[in-house]
Amino acid sequence: MKFLLHWIERARPWFGPEGRLRRFFPIYEAGETFLFTPASVTRGAPHVRDALDIKRTMITVAVALVPCLLFGIFNAGYQYNTANQVADAGFLAHVFQGAWIVLPIVLVSYAVGGAWEVLFAMVRKHEINEGFLVTGLLFPLTLPPTIPLWQVAVGISFGIVLGKEIFGGTGFNVLNPALTARAFLFFAYPAQITGDRVWTVVRDRAETVAGFTGATPLAVAADVPAGASLGEALREAGFAWSDMAGGLIGGSIGETSLIPIALGALILVAGGVGAWRIMAGGLLGLAAASGLFGLFAGEAVRPFVGMGPHLHLAMGSVAFGLVFMATDPVSAAASNPGKWIYGFLIGALVVTVRVANPAFPEGVMLSILFMNVMAPLIDHAVLQAHLRARHRYLAGFGHA
Amino acid sequence: MDIRLAGAPAPEVHSLPDPPVVALYPPEFDGVRPRLLVEEGAEVRRGDPLIEDKRNPALKLAAPAGGRVLAVRRGERRAILAIEIERSDREETVDFGAHSIESIDALSREAVLERLLRTGLLALIRQRPFSHMADPENRPAAIFVNGMNTAPFTPDLAVALEGREAAFAAGLRAMARLTDGLVHLCLAEGAPAPEPPPGERLRVHRFSGPHPAGNTSVHIHHIDPIREGRKVWTVRGEDLVLIGELLLGGALPTHRVIALGGPGVRESERRHLRVRIGSPLGAVLEGRMVPGETRAIAGDALSGRAFAADEGIGWRDTAVTVVPEGRERAFLGWLMPGWRQFSHSRTFLSAWLGRNRRWDHTTNLHGSPRAMILTGLYDRVMPMRILTDFLVRAVLAHDVDEAVRLGLLETDPEDFALPAFLCPSKTDLPGIIRAGLAEAEAEGL
Repeated sequence: MKFLLHWIERARPWFGPEGRLRRFFPIYEAGETFLFTPASVTRGAPHVRDALDIKRTMITVAVALVPCLLFGIFNAGYQYNTANQVADAGFLAHVFQGAWIVLPIVLVSYAVGGAWEVLFAMVRKHEINEGFLVTGLLFPLTLPPTIPLWQVAVGISFGIVLGKEIFGGTGFNVLNPALTARAFLFFAYPAQITGDRVWTVVRDRAETVAGFTGATPLAVAADVPAGASLGEALREAGFAWSDMAGGLIGGSIGETSLIPIALGALILVAGGVGAWRIMAGGLLGLAAASGLFGLFAGEAVRPFVGMGPHLHLAMGSVAFGLVFMATDPVSAAASNPGKWIYGFLIGALVVTVRVANPAFPEGVMLSILFMNVMAPLIDHAVLQAHLRARHRYLAGFGHA
Repeated sequence: MDIRLAGAPAPEVHSLPDPPVVALYPPEFDGVRPRLLVEEGAEVRRGDPLIEDKRNPALKLAAPAGGRVLAVRRGERRAILAIEIERSDREETVDFGAHSIESIDALSREAVLERLLRTGLLALIRQRPFSHMADPENRPAAIFVNGMNTAPFTPDLAVALEGREAAFAAGLRAMARLTDGLVHLCLAEGAPAPEPPPGERLRVHRFSGPHPAGNTSVHIHHIDPIREGRKVWTVRGEDLVLIGELLLGGALPTHRVIALGGPGVRESERRHLRVRIGSPLGAVLEGRMVPGETRAIAGDALSGRAFAADEGIGWRDTAVTVVPEGRERAFLGWLMPGWRQFSHSRTFLSAWLGRNRRWDHTTNLHGSPRAMILTGLYDRVMPMRILTDFLVRAVLAHDVDEAVRLGLLETDPEDFALPAFLCPSKTDLPGIIRAGLAEAEAEGL
């Protein structure tokens, strides 16, 4: 380690303001601080600082995503082997097959996104932001495993450049970059990201198991006609609640199972990195909105309208979105009451979009992006309420 | 929040011998434009004016010792950094007139102010908003006496005041002469109340909890907050003792109790010291530090200021904290589980396994500056009706009106030391607030 440190210190002048490689300083800085914590000391008060920095914050989020990634890899392989009737496929076969499907997507996301990040850091002369470590992993987990790799590259480019860098980089963006990237793909190339056929990798449609449709539980549930039983229809399609929560079903790579998501949420909340208020607010919103729609349930309407919150939570990407996307501190509301409101409205909007929108059954992505845009408004309202409360407090003491 | 740093001073007082040379340090009297009244080689008595303020010639800075003016040290643009005095054996002293405790009550406001102006001890009284030396022209609406310390390694008031209770009581009475309003004494829960018992104009308030429960801004906010057009004065309990001693003894006080602590001080030397005011830093620290590069801080490690090498214990210094400079680099620090580092966040194993341990801190920044990303972190250590994130952003946007509405004038840079300690983006919050306060003052608010 001493040798490595010595070597890094010796290379420093090349990248300094006078050095020949000064344009590449952000790369040097990133590599240097990746290997060794910076030697910088405080300049003034406070003279001592907490050991937490943004690097570690972001790494914690990335670590929280790892269970989802691992499960996503396993599930992608499992779905492949099941749908294609691969004989004698065991645990390892699922994992290898899944890694073969998922890892290229993650690598493309990191490589292309990283290239943009470095390019902007060099041109705009800021440091390489660690937030990219999260974006680069979040984005692939929201994609179906069948996504063409070139679309991954285009999507992450759009997300990083238009979702983040044009605003000035991490800390200044209005929208969550990973979601921006996904929304772009969603509208630009809907064929590869919606419908029944994209959620499982299949070799050849003719060879798949009899009865395999590839439809997601949300699509199944939304299509149950009025008067029929929702639960029966789901069970028929192989989607008991435990299946949907367990997540060995088709879907976007990282979002199918509640278990790794809950594990990730636990890491985020226990580490104090993710805002539990947003997650809790989201669950409340989900419950409130589905309860409200439940009042309209009856023989005459689709049973999907009255679907309970536990089903909403298990279906689609709402859990993943609430835990990892909505809690992005930059694009979320900043005040604590604002976080409750923000999470609540996301949860309520998801149910509303799902139930009230006939065009597509999933609404998590758009709900969060919409609330990203609304977050400053929520904060503004909270701020005004705070100022009124302050004014009342001060007025309580009379005037000078 | 309890920051568990190792190095707290033991609650015992150790007296240091008086050094042969003591000094006056004019830079600590912020706002004074010094005009030098003595020359090198002149003989002075303790209490003789060395400097007067060009703007208010009634305000003098007095010699902390009797003897010969050894040197006038100057810095950039000839600013006077220190006036060194070689103590004579006899140390002649100026008599400002002694009072009994009871006769202080009969003094006029002008009489008290006159003594504070002639000695420069007025600098021990601060004015809010903006935290500078009290302006004698102002009649403060109230005076807040801070009788508790919660910042790490600041003196234990019970220890610092021991044997000086009479001077403390005298100081309290003098404060009542300076304001037409109330004198608020803020004490820690369980601390002994002063004699005499609170009078008509004296109110005792109790505060409990970890730092920053002892910060003056917090006290004012909960007792009688600063509002538009309202000016209050503040004084620390340790400083009030000096004012009391001046009035009771009639002579300029010579000693004060400071706390010496921090991981840069040898363990057996971490305690309270009774030192001569104006002692050079070397006389206090010599032989008491751990080997290696260290930083000596005037005050606490959160909101204090780094000592220059040739500075000393001034009138306003109550604590010296020594922290090792942390320039070591850890390999793959972002990946390490973190057994040995203190963090308020729970992303380090230390937060889970070493709940009651105390940690050796260094001055390492632990990361590099970034844009402000996390939200809601600061308000956890801001026990006032202030939304820190929004206040800081308003100041950064130079929106002074908004910042004032959000409570800027109620704050002092020291209130933002704890949020800055926590900040993972390593933002200089006290600096931002200092600039914001200066901007607000320039706009005449």
